[in-house]
Amino acid sequence: MSNLIKTEWFKLRKDRSFRVLSWMLITAAVLYPLLEFGNASLPTVEDYYLNNVLGIHSDIVKLIPSILAGFFITSEYSMGTMKSIASSGKNRIQIYFAKLTMFAVGAIFISIILPIFMTGASAIFFGFTDMPDIAFYLQTVGIIMLYAAAFASIMAIFATIFTDSGKTIGFLLLFFLLVDWPLQVLASKVPFFEPIVNHSIFKLVYDIVRFNELDHSEVITLVTVPILTFLLSGILGSLIFRNKEIK
Amino acid sequence: MNEYVLKTNDLSKKYQNKMALNKVNLSIKKGTIYGFIGQNGAGKSTLIRLITGLANPTSGTFELFEKTDGQALIEARKRIGTIIEGPALYPHMTAHENLEAHRLLKGIPGKDCVDKTLALVGLQNTGKKKAKNFSLGMKQRLGLAIALLGDPEFLILDEPINGLDPMGVVEIRELLKKLNQAYGITILISSHILSELHLLATHYGIIHDGELLEQLSATELNEKCQQYLHIKVDNPNKAATIIESQLSTNDFEVMPDGSIKLFAHVNTPGLVSKTLTKEELVIEQFMPMGEDLEAYFSNRIGGVGHE
Repeated sequence: MSNLIKTEWFKLRKDRSFRVLSWMLITAAVLYPLLEFGNASLPTVEDYYLNNVLGIHSDIVKLIPSILAGFFITSEYSMGTMKSIASSGKNRIQIYFAKLTMFAVGAIFISIILPIFMTGASAIFFGFTDMPDIAFYLQTVGIIMLYAAAFASIMAIFATIFTDSGKTIGFLLLFFLLVDWPLQVLASKVPFFEPIVNHSIFKLVYDIVRFNELDHSEVITLVTVPILTFLLSGILGSLIFRNKEIK
Repeated sequence: MNEYVLKTNDLSKKYQNKMALNKVNLSIKKGTIYGFIGQNGAGKSTLIRLITGLANPTSGTFELFEKTDGQALIEARKRIGTIIEGPALYPHMTAHENLEAHRLLKGIPGKDCVDKTLALVGLQNTGKKKAKNFSLGMKQRLGLAIALLGDPEFLILDEPINGLDPMGVVEIRELLKKLNQAYGITILISSHILSELHLLATHYGIIHDGELLEQLSATELNEKCQQYLHIKVDNPNKAATIIESQLSTNDFEVMPDGSIKLFAHVNTPGLVSKTLTKEELVIEQFMPMGEDLEAYFSNRIGGVGHE
């Protein structure tokens, strides 16, 4: 398993899409706070973190890694390299989890670029007074990482099913852009699904910004649901991959 | 100790309504170079995909290094190197990086093997050139280097010389011969270039429409590739009569163009020409000929055109 992890880490570091996406996000994160200079007054870093950074993180967590999924996972099938991995004498379940682990690492890295670089840049531009509470900051960043991994585990399933990078990216972008609406309809029409939808990562990801307002049980839910999602999606994806005929 | 690295027992694979492989019983002895011959869609790649674990058989079994299933079979695959349906490369990586990725995958300690393997296939000087910018021949060499990484005991090569220039073909042929003879590596090689395969393989398997038609050694093939005398005379009917009566054989064929294929007296062409000229026949063409692998293969699968 360690050989597989090392290989996937090596490939992630060399992955062009990962580098491009990371640099684009870092650039945007550093430049975006400059737009505030057009307003009458500058926000505090605390307000900026709450309204701007956490305000858009759910889109970053769901959408940007979808592009990485297409290039990092599905392209292994289109390039034919999955054939040499699958025939290398490694267990398919281990191959899948190694891939998922490193993809999740990539998704986590992408998802924390805004909280780190945008907050850092806003502190430099707006001043270091009124910084966000360090505990709140670290807790929210930690939970963003959990959700990035959870969404990554769902993306990995689809990236394994498809064998064309373009299809994977297109499908995942559409899926994550539109999934909230049918889930809301489902929850409102079918009572059975309501608690499931309300306790899914698709709904809970929007609660991160309200972290300080949540009670203990809600915090437990906010933390455990993405972990369970990662594990269950990982198991489901690995079973799909184990039975998949690699062409 | 088992002398076979691979044995299949009634191995079958069905895709929807088509039998891609139908009860194939193939065996590859240790230390041989097994030329796997078949048209596109004959089942070569399907068999290779089953052996390498990319697909599961519909029925039947196979033994790879005596291992038949489960984790033991997965472990046995660590002893093989593969090129399956073309070289599998990371296009944005250099040759060195491609090998490094596979070195890590195979858990080979030390980075020396990467440079050694690149030198073995003649790609040591590619520097920072990305694999996507390689010629087809260079890609094939890199694919072969990846297959060779980790000193495999059994190489499975699907069309490894596609796209190579003539010198490249010779170099890869010599390299494969060396790997086989000096290191005892068993090789399963499928190729459309049958003349090239003829210079390399010690054993052959002919597959057609998912069925293994024949397995034979190079010696057996040479015996089966019938030698004959190609004769063209001004009067083929008279010549046929003379051959039957004076040379005492009916082991010949009169072809539609009037030429005669004489399978007997191959080692005594002087007697044949002397007999025919004595009967005042005008010999227009007279030469010893024989089937090569391509002709044999074509005949074996029913005379249809082949690649």
